[in-house]
Amino acid sequence: MTGLLDDIKVVDLAGPAITYTGRMLVDLGADVVLVEPPDGSRSRLLAPVATVASGVTISAHFAYMAAGKRSVTLDLTSAVAAPTLERMLEWADVVLVTPDDSDPLPAGLDLEAWSEAHPRLVVTVVTPFGLRGPRRTWHGSDLTGWAAGGVLPFVGDADRPPLSPAGGLAYATASTNAAMATMLALRTRTSTGRGQLIDISVQEAVMSVALEAGPYMVMETVSIPYERTGMRRSTPPIGQYRTKDGAVSIVGYMPGQWDALASWIAEETGNDAITLDTFGGTPAARSPYVEAIDAWIEELTTRYTKQDFFEEAQRRGIPVGPVNSIADLVADPHLEATEAWRFVEDPEIGTIRYPRPPIRVDGDAGDVGRIPSVGQHTDEVLRDALGMTPIEIAGLRASGTI
Amino acid sequence: MNDDRHAPGGPTEGRHLPLEGIRVIEFGYGIAAPVAARNLGQFGADSIRVESRRKPDSLRVGGAGWIPKGYDPGVRWDTMPSLNFSSAGKRSIGLEIDSDDGYAVLQQLVARSDVFITNMSADVLPRLRLTYADLQAVRPDLVYMSMPPFGDARSPYRSFRTWGQNLSAISGVDRMIGWPDRDPVQLGFAYPDYVSAQAGTMAVVAALDRRDRTGQGCEIELSQYEMALAAIGPAVLELGLRGTVRSTNGNRVEGVAPQGIYPCRGPERWVAVSVRDDDMWAALGTVRGLTHLAGDRYATVALREAAADALDEQLTAWTSVRTDWEAATELQLAGVAASPVEDPWDLLTDPHLAAREAFRVLPHPRFGGDLVFGQAVTMSDTEPRFARAAPGLGQDSRDILTAVVGMEDEEVDRLVAAGVVHEMNRPDTTLERPFLHWIHTVSHLPWPASTFEPAELFMKRLEAEMARDADEVGP
Repeated sequence: MTGLLDDIKVVDLAGPAITYTGRMLVDLGADVVLVEPPDGSRSRLLAPVATVASGVTISAHFAYMAAGKRSVTLDLTSAVAAPTLERMLEWADVVLVTPDDSDPLPAGLDLEAWSEAHPRLVVTVVTPFGLRGPRRTWHGSDLTGWAAGGVLPFVGDADRPPLSPAGGLAYATASTNAAMATMLALRTRTSTGRGQLIDISVQEAVMSVALEAGPYMVMETVSIPYERTGMRRSTPPIGQYRTKDGAVSIVGYMPGQWDALASWIAEETGNDAITLDTFGGTPAARSPYVEAIDAWIEELTTRYTKQDFFEEAQRRGIPVGPVNSIADLVADPHLEATEAWRFVEDPEIGTIRYPRPPIRVDGDAGDVGRIPSVGQHTDEVLRDALGMTPIEIAGLRASGTI
Repeated sequence: MNDDRHAPGGPTEGRHLPLEGIRVIEFGYGIAAPVAARNLGQFGADSIRVESRRKPDSLRVGGAGWIPKGYDPGVRWDTMPSLNFSSAGKRSIGLEIDSDDGYAVLQQLVARSDVFITNMSADVLPRLRLTYADLQAVRPDLVYMSMPPFGDARSPYRSFRTWGQNLSAISGVDRMIGWPDRDPVQLGFAYPDYVSAQAGTMAVVAALDRRDRTGQGCEIELSQYEMALAAIGPAVLELGLRGTVRSTNGNRVEGVAPQGIYPCRGPERWVAVSVRDDDMWAALGTVRGLTHLAGDRYATVALREAAADALDEQLTAWTSVRTDWEAATELQLAGVAASPVEDPWDLLTDPHLAAREAFRVLPHPRFGGDLVFGQAVTMSDTEPRFARAAPGLGQDSRDILTAVVGMEDEEVDRLVAAGVVHEMNRPDTTLERPFLHWIHTVSHLPWPASTFEPAELFMKRLEAEMARDADEVGP
C-alpha cells in the first residue's frame, strides 16, 4: 500500500457508478468497508460474469472493484439495522453512495440528515444528473451519461447512430471526480472540522473528459459539422489506419510530425506527391484532400504490423499508438518491463491478473488486495471498529440483519 | 518574506478553500498536467504555469481557427478555446528554463512552492534537470508529480511521445468502442489525459495532507498509460477469467437489454435508452405506445438479449415519431433511464446545466470575457474559485517574479531583454471570438459589458492590423 490514506475509513454503499472511487482509496491505503445485503451485493452478479474451472461464478467487474475492500453484511431495508448503520457512519470519515443504482438503501434515505447527525462525515454521492437541477430525479446508465455529456454526435460512423464507449468509462470518470472531491473535502475538514456533501453528476463527469471535443467547438464555429469521425476531416491526419494485423492510431497534424510522416511515405511507397507544399501547410489546408491523404497513409501502414509501425513511427517522432486489444496488452513490452501486472491468489478462483494500482508514491504502487467473500469481515468490523458486544452481534445475526 | 500567496481573485469571501496557501508550479503540455494544476488552482492553490515561447504548449500553438494566417503568433497563442479548460484560473510566467538564468528562476520558484507537476516524457526530465531529486534539492518537502505517457526508467517506450488519442488506442480504451461488423473507432478526445488529471489531483491532495502531518514530501508517478488501463480494469480481469473479452457490440452491453441510441424526429436527433434491469423493463411496458411490450414474453434479461434486434425495432418505431426530449422525458417519467444525445449547443442551452451553473464567463486578457466549464464537482461547503479564464502567455511574469521571488523590476527587465523571461505579447491587443455573440444569445449567461463588433468588421480590423505591422517592419 502506498500509505497516503492509512488513517482514512470509508463506508462503501456505492453501486457501479462509483465503485472505482472506493478502489482508488483502497490503493492509497484507506480502510474501505463494503456494505452488502446478507445475500450479497447485486454488483457480484454484474456483467461480465465468468464461470471458472472450479465451477465458481464471478463478476469481473466486482472482482476488480472490490479487491482489497472489507465486506460487512447489513440489511439496510430492515429497521433493526438503523442503529448499526449509524454507528458505522459515526466511525467512518467518508461514505460513498449512489442512490440510483446501488443495492437497496435505507427507506427514506436523507443525505442531509446524515450530514447533520455526523458533522465530520464526508458524504460522496454520484447520481446520473446530480442532486440539484430539473433533471435530478432522472435515472441513468453509463450510456445515458455519455449521451448527456455532449460528445457522442462526433463518435462512430456517419451512416449509423452515434456510438458510445462500453466498459463503464463514463462511470470511471464519475469515480475519479468523486475521489478527487472526497480528498478535497477531507482536507477542508482538517481546518473547518466539518465534513460535507459532495454532489457528482455523471453528465458533468463526462463533460469533464471531453470538453475539447464538445462545447469548445461552438466557440470556433456556428455550424458544427456533424461528422461522426471527430477531427478526421478538420485536422488531418488523425484517426485509425489499417495495418497487417489490425490498426494504428495516428495523430500527425503538427507541422514537424506531418513532415516526418510525409517523407516516410515518400521514402517507402515512392509517392512523391505527398511531400508537395499543397499538403504541407496547416491541417485546414490539407482538409479538402483528406480521402487521398488517408489512402496514401494506409499504403504505408498496411506494410507493417501495428507494433512495428508504432515503434518505427515513434523513432521518427510521429505520435502513433497501436490499437491494442486486451490480449495485446498482456504481451505489451512496456507493461512487462515496468512490472505493471499483479497476480492475486483467490482460494476459490485461482490466480487473477490485475493491472497494478496506477499511482506510484516514492516508487511504490502497492499490491492489489483480495476479493472479500460476502460478510467476511462482519464480525471484526462490528466488534473492533464499532465496539459492539458479542451479544449485540448475535442478536443482529439471529434477526437476519447481518 | 516578500510573498504573494494569493492566486488571481484572492481568498474567497467567507469560505475556506482546501488548498489556500498552497503554491503549485506546473511545467506541462497539452492536457494531463495542466488540468491537474487547474483543479488545484480552482480549489485554492496559487497555480502557476511555466511556459516557453520557443516551444509553447500545443494548446497555445493551436490558436483559434478563425485568426488569419500570418497574424502575430504571440497573440494567437492566447486564443484557443481549449486553453480555458486546461488552464483557467492559473497565472502564467513565460520562462526559458533551458538557460542557466532561467533554470535559476525556476529553482527559486520551486523553493517557494509546495507542488511541482509535469507530464513531459520520462526521458526529457533528466535533461531539463526536472527530476524529483533535482527539485527536492531546492525544496526538501516538495510534493512532486510526474504524469508521463509511459512512466518508469525501465520502459522501452520512455522516450515516446503521444497524444490522448494514441494512448486511448494503446491502453485498450479504443477497443471498448465499435460496431461488431466494422473496424474499431477512435474515441477522438483525450480520455486518458483527463482521468489521469483527476486521479493525480486526488493523489497530490492526499500527499499534501501527509506532508502537513509528517513534514515529508514525496514523488508521485502517474503514468497515463497505466491510468487508462486502470479505468478499463474489469476488461483485463474478464480476459483472465473467461479467456476472452466479448467484442464491442455497438451501443449494447452485456446484461442490459434493450439498450441503444435510437433516432428521433429531426436531423441528427437521437435518444439513448437503457433498460437496466427487470424493474425498468416493467416500467417500459407502462409507457404510452409501448404497452404491447408488457407481459412475460421478455421478462428476463436473457429473453430480452435474445430478442434485442426486434426490441430495437419496436423502440425505433416509437422514438422516430417523437423529439429526443419528448422521448427521454416520457421514458424517465415511467422510470426508464434515457437521455437525449446532446450536442455542444444542447449543453450550452441545457436548463439543467444552467441551474447547476456548469458554464461561466470569466475574465480573459484577450477577449474581456470567455466561456469556461467550471468543475464536475459540486461541494456543499467548498465553493471553487472561478477567478479568471486562461491567462495570456507570460501575463503574470512580472507579478510572479517581484512578489513571489522578490526580484527588483530592473532584474526582471534584464531577464526580459535577455529573452529568458517573457511578458505577455501586445497586452493591449484585444480580440473577439467572431461567433461568441451567438453563445451569449442562446446561453443567457451574464456577459461582461459588451463591445461586440459584427464578425465581418472584426476580421477587417485584424487584416488592417496585420497590414500595419507589415508596414512597420518595412520591405
